[in-house]
Amino acid sequence: MMRGEQVGSFVFPRWTNVLRPVLAVALVVVPAYVVVLLAYGASPRTTNVGYQPVQPVPYSHALHAGQLGIDCRYCHNTVEVAAHAALPPTQTCMNCHARIRTTSPKLLPVRESYATGLPIPWVRVHDLPDYVYFNHSAHVRRGVGCVECHGRVDTMEVVTQVHRLSMGWCLDCHRHPEPHLRPPDMVTKMDWVPPGDPETYGRQLRQANNINPSTQCWTCHR
Amino acid sequence: MPRGLIYGAVLLAALALIPLALIARARVTTSGVPRIQLIQDMGRQPKFKTQSANPMFADGRAMRPEVPGTVARGELHEDGAYWAGRTPDGWVMAFPVAVTDQLMRRGQERYDIFCAPCHGLAGYGDGPVAKRADALQEGTWTPPSSYHTDLVRQRPVGFIFNTISNGIRNMPAYGPQIPVADRWAIVAYVRALQRSQDARATNVPPELQRQLR
Repeated sequence: MMRGEQVGSFVFPRWTNVLRPVLAVALVVVPAYVVVLLAYGASPRTTNVGYQPVQPVPYSHALHAGQLGIDCRYCHNTVEVAAHAALPPTQTCMNCHARIRTTSPKLLPVRESYATGLPIPWVRVHDLPDYVYFNHSAHVRRGVGCVECHGRVDTMEVVTQVHRLSMGWCLDCHRHPEPHLRPPDMVTKMDWVPPGDPETYGRQLRQANNINPSTQCWTCHR
Repeated sequence: MPRGLIYGAVLLAALALIPLALIARARVTTSGVPRIQLIQDMGRQPKFKTQSANPMFADGRAMRPEVPGTVARGELHEDGAYWAGRTPDGWVMAFPVAVTDQLMRRGQERYDIFCAPCHGLAGYGDGPVAKRADALQEGTWTPPSSYHTDLVRQRPVGFIFNTISNGIRNMPAYGPQIPVADRWAIVAYVRALQRSQDARATNVPPELQRQLR
């Protein structure tokens, strides 16, 4: 070997030949990985579903709405006339709890709120972005049941978000509402099932109640 | 091939699985932390929505309560018979609203929502909440009244309206929870319940009496 060959020239070692096929594979695998990561990681199914905040009072919908069968509207009484389904004032809790479980430590924040007039800091579970103007009354009065968006709240000890509540999810129903419709007087019946085929029955209801959900931008965004 | 490079590649592949595992976990578990919004897009605007909090006020409410001693426009309730079930002469004896089939159905629906939990669907005071309160045996509970006593049957409609609005004995006021029109609908339905539980065969129209046998 001559001395001159060793100076001023670099020879790739033989193993670098492997890098070419490795690089080819990486060019396919890495973009695919990024796509999968974004598609699943940023999907509302991952980011939105399963939100279950700790509430100041361990109020059980399973007991009140499920076991005792109290109608949703007993507490959320604005849902049929307003955009916002109101959280009940402390007075509504005290309708019963002035007489029932009057010394329960779990209910202490309720009694404190009633005595001081300061609101109970309930944590909102189903919270849409501020540029969305969802109207409860428009849906409830046309026969979209509570359960369609909120799930079986009557079986939840702690309320959890079970649906995506994303724009695509809203549009699924706005484009094809039939399987999500029921007679308007059944909206709060969580265990209601349509008689017969949901599709056919939904089509009848849609016709009877003249339901034409809009898919225009301005329906939900102003 | 240098060992270090191979180890590095294996390590990178292993690390790349961690985000996927986190995503998989997020999809099957619940979380007490609000969602992370990667792209904000004005999803949280500095504005106050219904029932939101505003630290500017001592009570933290963005929605402000009525100022004491003031009357909002359209809320001056001068018609005592309709708004209070009472006139200067005493309780209202006849309904100040037209009793229609529609009103009765509305009354039934509202009754089942607001009254039936305690008073029961038929008005005997045996609703699920009353039953549970009895079962707890705490000594602080007084059972709700049955509507099917001579005393309650003879109450004027204005009195029943007032009872719903302002409460009576242990019953709390439902005025803030139930709009006035619905309260009158409920009174109509309570009257219907009372008649249904205190009926004789002769109350049935003659042409339908044969069906009773």
